[in-house]
Amino acid sequence: MMKFILPLITGLIGLLVIAMTAPATAQESPTMTDEHVARIKSNCRLAIATLGFTLEKDAPVYINYNQTYYSISDKLMARLNSRLTLNRYDATQLVGTASEFNDTLADFRRAYRLYDEAMNDLIRMDCRSQPVTFYDRVSEARELRQNVQDITQKMSKYIDEYLTNVRDFRLENDLVKESRNE
Amino acid sequence: MNETEHEIVHVPWRKNQLVVFVSGSIVVALILVVVSMALYASSGAAQLDLSRPGYQSVQDKVDRTDTFQSFSANGPVNSDELDEFEELYIDQTRTVKTTQVFSGSALGEKTLGIDAPVPLPAE
Repeated sequence: MMKFILPLITGLIGLLVIAMTAPATAQESPTMTDEHVARIKSNCRLAIATLGFTLEKDAPVYINYNQTYYSISDKLMARLNSRLTLNRYDATQLVGTASEFNDTLADFRRAYRLYDEAMNDLIRMDCRSQPVTFYDRVSEARELRQNVQDITQKMSKYIDEYLTNVRDFRLENDLVKESRNE
Repeated sequence: MNETEHEIVHVPWRKNQLVVFVSGSIVVALILVVVSMALYASSGAAQLDLSRPGYQSVQDKVDRTDTFQSFSANGPVNSDELDEFEELYIDQTRTVKTTQVFSGSALGEKTLGIDAPVPLPAE
């Protein structure tokens, strides 16, 4: 029995070590000049420090945005939709926008996770020995960060759209006129 | 043979029961650690965890108190209620309407000093 268990444990530990220390194998840019590579090598430590600082600043912004988006969905949109449905109003439009908002919130979380993982990999990279891979990874991280921004813009669009839906609902159901009469 | 007497069978691994038990526990613990770390990373919990190394300095920048006001799911639907909703909605969505966050330009080549050097003009 011991003949099987000891190699099994050693194998598992070996796999873990390999997984944690495996060098990244990325496609390297073929058109980079020697001067450019040298510049990356000399500046990459500073670049990594800047990347770390950027990621550190991004984390609380993400947490606050994520929390606020969730609260908008859970404490405002869902509550109003529920109230309208309980009062037998047709809230199809509002429910549709709230649903798209929730789907985009899931995209926002996914996009930030990918960005966070890419940045953490970058920060741990040995940029002096792999300058071209480092450069390519920075480009990827930049695109992932831009994707997070694109999604926040989409979220803003849905926030505005929901308010427009509420105002349309009021007009359709004569709930604006009522306030003027009161 | 007497009814109360049993034949003692010598199974080889029984000699090392303690070693087998400890090794088995280590294997199970390793598997559980790998599974829990995978869940921690894939669920998005890691991105919300500011106790990670390097994030302690920004912990105070997170809003810890939930001051977000809810709209009640019960009650009538009239213009006053909808006015109240609009007011709450506009006021509380203001903080996330700034869409200038997470711009890709913060990771620009020039910002990081890894852009291609400008070639010197030929003499």
